[in-house]
Amino acid sequence: MQHVANLSELRAKEVHAAAIEVAELSHVYLGRDGKVPALEDISLTVGAGRFVVIVGPSGCGKTSLLMMMAGLRRPTSGTILCAGRPIDVPDPDRVGVVFQEASLFPWLTALENIEFPLSIRHAPRLERRRRAEAMLNLVGLAGFGARYPHELSGGMKQRVSIARGLVQDPPVLLMDEPFAALDEQTRMTMGHELLRIWSQTNKTVVFVTHSLTEAVYLADEVLVMSPRPGRIIDRAEVTLPRPRTYEMMATDVFGRLRERIWQKIRKVT
Amino acid sequence: MSRSALILTRLALLAMVLAAWEWLPRWAIVNAALLPPLSDVLAMFVTILGRSQVQEAVAVTAGEVVLAFMFAVPIGACVGVLVAESEYFGQIFRPMLFYVFSIPKSIFLPMFILVFGIGFAQKVAYAAFSTVFIVIMSAAAAVGSVKADHVLVARSYGATRAQVLTRVYVPSMLPFLLETLRISMIFNLTGVMIAEMYASRSGIGQLIASWGENFQMPQLFAGVMLLAAAAIAFNETVRWLEARCSTWRT
Repeated sequence: MQHVANLSELRAKEVHAAAIEVAELSHVYLGRDGKVPALEDISLTVGAGRFVVIVGPSGCGKTSLLMMMAGLRRPTSGTILCAGRPIDVPDPDRVGVVFQEASLFPWLTALENIEFPLSIRHAPRLERRRRAEAMLNLVGLAGFGARYPHELSGGMKQRVSIARGLVQDPPVLLMDEPFAALDEQTRMTMGHELLRIWSQTNKTVVFVTHSLTEAVYLADEVLVMSPRPGRIIDRAEVTLPRPRTYEMMATDVFGRLRERIWQKIRKVT
Repeated sequence: MSRSALILTRLALLAMVLAAWEWLPRWAIVNAALLPPLSDVLAMFVTILGRSQVQEAVAVTAGEVVLAFMFAVPIGACVGVLVAESEYFGQIFRPMLFYVFSIPKSIFLPMFILVFGIGFAQKVAYAAFSTVFIVIMSAAAAVGSVKADHVLVARSYGATRAQVLTRVYVPSMLPFLLETLRISMIFNLTGVMIAEMYASRSGIGQLIASWGENFQMPQLFAGVMLLAAAAIAFNETVRWLEARCSTWRT
C-alpha cells in the first residue's frame, strides 16, 4: 500500500512539472448572427515556474482563454488542467488572478484589498494582517497599507493587485493586461518589478498583453494568437538571459524576436 | 468665496428672512392675521409642544411614518435589486412598475379609505404604497453602480453568491442606498401628511388641517415648523452618513 501511495505521489509530482495544460480547447458563443467560434483547438503546456506571455490583437480571445484558466468561464469543449487537476470553478489555492486596472475595491484600503481573498475564506484576523503586510513589502509598498485606491498612483494600484493575487500563495498567477492603462515609463518599471517578484516567489505566470515589447521583455515563451477564431499561430522561445535588463531591448536578439512576432500578427489582422 | 464668508452670507440671508417675517406683520405691511409675527409663532410653538393633544398627535404620526418606512424600504429595495439583477423578473415587472410609478399616488387615497378606513392602518398602508415605488426605482438604479469587474474579482477568489452580495453589492450600493433612504423619506412623510389631512381623527397632519380650517394661524405655522424641523433633521443626518460612506467615490 505504502509503495502504491508513493508511486502515485511520484506521478503527481511528475504531472506537476506542468503547471497548466490546455488540451484541444474550443469555445463557441452565441452571437447575433448565430454561433461564433471564439477559440479553436488551443493546446498548450506551461511548465512550472515559467513565465509565458500570450499576445494577439484585440478580439483574439486571449482574455477569454485566461478567464477559462482561472475557472471563471467554461470552454465549449476541451480540458484545462492546473497542477494536474481539472479547473472548472475558481480555485484560489491553485490560481491567483491579477486583472486590468481599477479592479481594486475602492471602499477598502490597500491592505484590506490584499486581505480580501483571505477574508473570503475566513482566515484568522492576525494571520490575514501578517500575510497582507508581507505581500505589501514584497511589492515595495511598505507604509502605504492605509491608503485607499484613489490615493494611489496607477502603478501603485497594480502593485496592490499583484499583492492581492499572491496573498494566498498560489503556484500560478494569471495576469490580464495588468499594465495596459499605465504610461510607458511606469509600464516598463512595473514589468521589471514583476520579474523581480516572480524570481523571488517562483510562481508560474501566464501574462496576457498586446504590447510586443512587454511580451519579449518578460517572457520565457511568447504565444501568438490570431483573431476570429482565436488560435495559437506561433510559439517563440525567448532565449535572452535572466535577469533581464533594459539594455537587452536594444539587442539584435530582442529586435528579431519582436519583428518575428509582429510579422505573424500583421498577417492575420 | 472662503468657507467662513459663505457661512456668514448664508446666516445673513436667514436673518433677513426671519427679520422680514417678524417685522412685516408688525408694521402692518402684510396682514398679521394671515402671517403672524415670528415671535408669536415661536411662543405658540412652545405652547403647543406642551399640550398633550399635540404630543399624542406627534406620537401617532411618528408611528405611522416609521412603520410605513419599515414596510416600504426593505420591500422596495428587494424588489428593485431583483428587477435589476434578474433578467426574467426585470422583463416581466419593469414596464408595470414604470407605469404605476408615473401615476400620482394621491388619487388612490379614496380606495385606501374604503379598504382600511381612516385609522392608523390606512395611513401606514397609503404612505408605504406611495413610497415603495421610488425605493424600487432607486434600488434598481443603484445596482448599476456595481462594477462587473469587482464581481469577477470576488468570484476569482472563490467568493460564494452570498459573499458577492455582502462584500461587493452592499458596499458598492451603500452610498446610493442612503440617498434612496433620504429621498424615500420625503415621499413617505408626504404620504402620511396627505392621508392625515384628507381624512383622519388623529395625527399632526390632521391638527394642521383643522388649525388651517379654523384660521388659527400661529398654531398652523408652529405645526409647519415642527414638521419641517423633523424632516430637515432626518435628511441632514442621512446626508452626513452618505458623505462618510462615500469618501472613496472620487
